[in-house]
Amino acid sequence: MIASMRDNDELQMNAYCDGELDPASAIEFERRLAGDETLKAQYNRLLSLRRTVRSLPQYDVPAGLQARIQSALDADRPDQVDRLGRASRPVQAGRPRQRNWSFQALAAAAVFGAVISSSVMLTMERYDRQEDVARAVVAGHIRGLLAPQPFDVASSDRHTVKPWFTSHLPLSPQVPDLAAQGFVLEGGRVDVVGHDPVATIVYKHAKHTVSLTTLPRGQSVSDQAIAGYNVRSWSDAEFTYIAVSDISSEDLASFERAFSEGSPAPEIK
Amino acid sequence: MFDEVFLPHMAEAYRLAQWLTGNAYDAEDVVQDAALRAFRGIKSFGAVNARAWSLTIVRNTAYSWLLKNKSKAVVFTDDLSPPEQQELEHEGPYGTRVETPEEIALFKADAEDVQRALAKLPAHFREVIVLREMNQLNYRDIAEITNVPIGTVMSRLSRGRQLLITLLGDRK
Repeated sequence: MIASMRDNDELQMNAYCDGELDPASAIEFERRLAGDETLKAQYNRLLSLRRTVRSLPQYDVPAGLQARIQSALDADRPDQVDRLGRASRPVQAGRPRQRNWSFQALAAAAVFGAVISSSVMLTMERYDRQEDVARAVVAGHIRGLLAPQPFDVASSDRHTVKPWFTSHLPLSPQVPDLAAQGFVLEGGRVDVVGHDPVATIVYKHAKHTVSLTTLPRGQSVSDQAIAGYNVRSWSDAEFTYIAVSDISSEDLASFERAFSEGSPAPEIK
Repeated sequence: MFDEVFLPHMAEAYRLAQWLTGNAYDAEDVVQDAALRAFRGIKSFGAVNARAWSLTIVRNTAYSWLLKNKSKAVVFTDDLSPPEQQELEHEGPYGTRVETPEEIALFKADAEDVQRALAKLPAHFREVIVLREMNQLNYRDIAEITNVPIGTVMSRLSRGRQLLITLLGDRK
């Protein structure tokens, strides 16, 4: 007769099997396992169960589910207007689906679905492009924070940073010194967005780094948080600016004000 | 934001939904519903773990969906029915029956048997096993998703597995 395992042993065996025991307990458990045939048999059974369960076929996401979700989301997002002006009334979530479709209804649904998904794709594509820009800019900021210093040229003198940009890039922004407003100029670096090198001005606010990436006008992205960093974007006559930092969005807003006011009128080159 | 938090976990979300609801049609509805909830609630996403956050929504959506649509089919309890309990105590692998090493080493169960056995488990046991084995989450994440302490996750996993072993061992 095999003695019932004590509950605690059972828990420990499971935790060991799941790799959740601390190293000392794991070694202790392995020692017991080596000397206890009953325990070993039970452990093997547990492993065998795991193999059996994990070898079950994995369900694949059905084709079209993602598109259906996207269209449901677009319906839920009134500001994302369909640019083609088509009325997209996608499937409502939770509505019981009718499963006895006639062929006609099926065909109609297929056409309707194609119309919806193509217009969704267009909206999505534009949306994606903006998101790509935002992601690339945030990636530049993160890379900057990981590097020994977040800038290629270090200077609190705007008359050093601006010429450095001018010598490296086809387009270079104004570099205002905003120390009086609490944003100390630290330097500048070149980021790559898409395939284009762009100027990023680096400021320090308290202990936080603010990256201000400047893109050719017309690429503004929505204000949002990506990977824990706040993103704020605005444009003037020449550039689209994207500011990234871990400071609060209110502070980022006052940074925008300070920058817009502090940015001197374009010099004649 | 939504695209970065929820969408990368779609496949896992769908798998979880399918295991919890037991079929593909319902899983689609659940995932779609969960996506909407996640989308509307994305502003509240402050957690570090996007995966656990997303799966939590899927899990909760699946249960409210099940309660609404199939309240009889789903068992929410840590207690086993008397026959199940008896099965565990008297015929189970840790009971009185001595088995040969071959029996111990391998289950002669095909995928269908395993799926049936999983479906038979009370929901609380099934979900921890699915989250652990299919989604391969650690105890901490499972505790977060199922909203119970880690100790409860451990005991549910252990009991759920015992029960599965019993169910599978019985059919030969």
